[in-house]
Amino acid sequence: MADLIKLNGLQRYYEVGGETVKALDGVDLIINHNEYISIMGPSGSGKSTMMNMIGCLDSPTDGTYEFEGEKVHEMDDNQLASIRNRKIGFVFQTFNLLPKLTALRNVELPLIYANIPKDERLELAEIAMDKVSLTDRMHHKPNELSGGQRQRVAIARALVTNPSIILADEPTGNLDSKSGVEIMDVFDELHNEGNTIILVTHEAYIAKHAHRTIHILDGRIEKDAQNKTTKQRKQPSKKKATL
Amino acid sequence: MFAYVESLRMALSAIWDNKLRAALTTLGIIIGILAVTLMGTLISGLDRSFEKSMSFLGRDVLYISKHEWFGQEEWWEIRNRPDLKVDYIEKLKNQSKYVIAAAPVAMRSVNITRKDEMAMGINLAGTTPEFAQTAFMNIESGRFYTEGEDRSGARVIAIGYDVANALFENENPIGKKVKIGNYVFRVVGVTEKQGKFLGLFSMDNRAIIPLGTYQRLFARRGWMRLDVKVDDEHIDEAKDEIIAIMRRLRGLRPEEKNDFAVNQQDAFRQQYQTMKIAIGGTGLFITVLSLVVGGIGIMNIMFVSVKERTKEIGVRKAVGATQGSIMRQFLLEALFICLFGGAVGIVLALGGSFLIDKFVFPSTMPVSLALISLILSSVVGVVAGLAPSYKAARLDPIEALRYE
Repeated sequence: MADLIKLNGLQRYYEVGGETVKALDGVDLIINHNEYISIMGPSGSGKSTMMNMIGCLDSPTDGTYEFEGEKVHEMDDNQLASIRNRKIGFVFQTFNLLPKLTALRNVELPLIYANIPKDERLELAEIAMDKVSLTDRMHHKPNELSGGQRQRVAIARALVTNPSIILADEPTGNLDSKSGVEIMDVFDELHNEGNTIILVTHEAYIAKHAHRTIHILDGRIEKDAQNKTTKQRKQPSKKKATL
Repeated sequence: MFAYVESLRMALSAIWDNKLRAALTTLGIIIGILAVTLMGTLISGLDRSFEKSMSFLGRDVLYISKHEWFGQEEWWEIRNRPDLKVDYIEKLKNQSKYVIAAAPVAMRSVNITRKDEMAMGINLAGTTPEFAQTAFMNIESGRFYTEGEDRSGARVIAIGYDVANALFENENPIGKKVKIGNYVFRVVGVTEKQGKFLGLFSMDNRAIIPLGTYQRLFARRGWMRLDVKVDDEHIDEAKDEIIAIMRRLRGLRPEEKNDFAVNQQDAFRQQYQTMKIAIGGTGLFITVLSLVVGGIGIMNIMFVSVKERTKEIGVRKAVGATQGSIMRQFLLEALFICLFGGAVGIVLALGGSFLIDKFVFPSTMPVSLALISLILSSVVGVVAGLAPSYKAARLDPIEALRYE
């Protein structure tokens, strides 16, 4: 099986006011299936660009990016849209739910662009809502939900297409600590179910949920290491999953 | 397939979320569509009443008079022309092979009285019995006067429908006496109700007496018209022939201009066509103008809509919306705003047409025009929506997600 993600000499330069900003400056990285990764770095380090790049929202200036063997760096806009739709689930810091749609309709959204018939869409969306334990809030609009609930809707939306990878950008950044813990529990559980998860964060205690932490500085990978606490963390989540 | 249905649903719900804005935006389109359909209705009504008026004239009747109906000659030129004479009629009938019937018509305005009743401003025509053939009128009751009455100068009169109503409210006028000035006439017939000619003067507001009587009592000389009914398969030849005969009667040399005119219905037709083009042109101008203004309004509001929903576009793109599907969504939104405007315009036009039909003149709204209007408004919608939709489709998802 091909590597899930393979970055090779990935560069992303921006022209800002005549100056070249090297947001990513030669990144080599391999991510396998069912990994649980956190990406850390101070602001301006390039971690957001990295996240956008992995999420196929952006195209590299130079270097190669293969996603399950598909050459992302050669794709046009429509192919990128398709790979985002089928293979990637996004979870954002600010949730990014559409305020006029109910929770269920928000979750359904990616399936619309996957051209799935309506009945099937609603069924899949309900299953996803069930995974984040929000079946009783399906017909509420985002402004009728708490922050933690909104983020769980967003996670359900990320899950609904059964993607190869879930990308979460500061998923607890806008939440109080209690909701933050709940959300991290959800991610832990999703990982235990076999999902691949990448968290972008600058909080060490969030990063510790992951099994592997990548530190980025000035557009390069500074440090890439397995977390020591991995095994201890796995236990409680597994117990929870069986409840 | 589902994507199209969904785009449609999204577009409609976006319009619904901004009902008032969409309604105001679409005003230009409404006015444009209203203008084009009402104009169509108006023209159809005009056509109808014009054709009705034309039936009073008859396609195959030529009207010889001193001047052209819509001529360019100076008035003194016409004034100096010799009057037409009654004996031309016999000569025309003898010399032309196309003439079927011919009647000289002299006319003046009179008041007709009966006891205390008076009908004022009645067009009194003095003519021969053949007028019944040239004039496209029917006698409703009684009869037209005879050759004999004409020759003997009998004081008999046929009156129009309105005159009969005014003077004889609940009575049968036939055989009764009426007076013009001090002269007493016996009513022999009443003509059928005909309506107004081009909405100007009533054909029912007239009275007809024998020409001989007319000349004896009112005027021997003066303005006269010769109405000549010709073979309707040879109208143009008949006209040429009549001009030739008239020139001979008048003794005109080849280099001299005609000192008379042979008019026909076509003169009205041409005049009417010119007017119709003017009305149509004005209507079209207003339509195009308001559609363009409406289109710009829609383009503007769509740009606002795209700007407002930048974040939404970012989210949609992040979860897999292609440029095409974003473009489609916004194009459909613009299209439906316009179609909505077009539909409202047509509904208003239907109301307007109904009022015109009821209170102005009989008319119908042409269905084809309503369809064209709808197509027109969809074209405006798509054209106006192109630039904003393209802008939305091309938004960078990262930038769009970051937009607050």
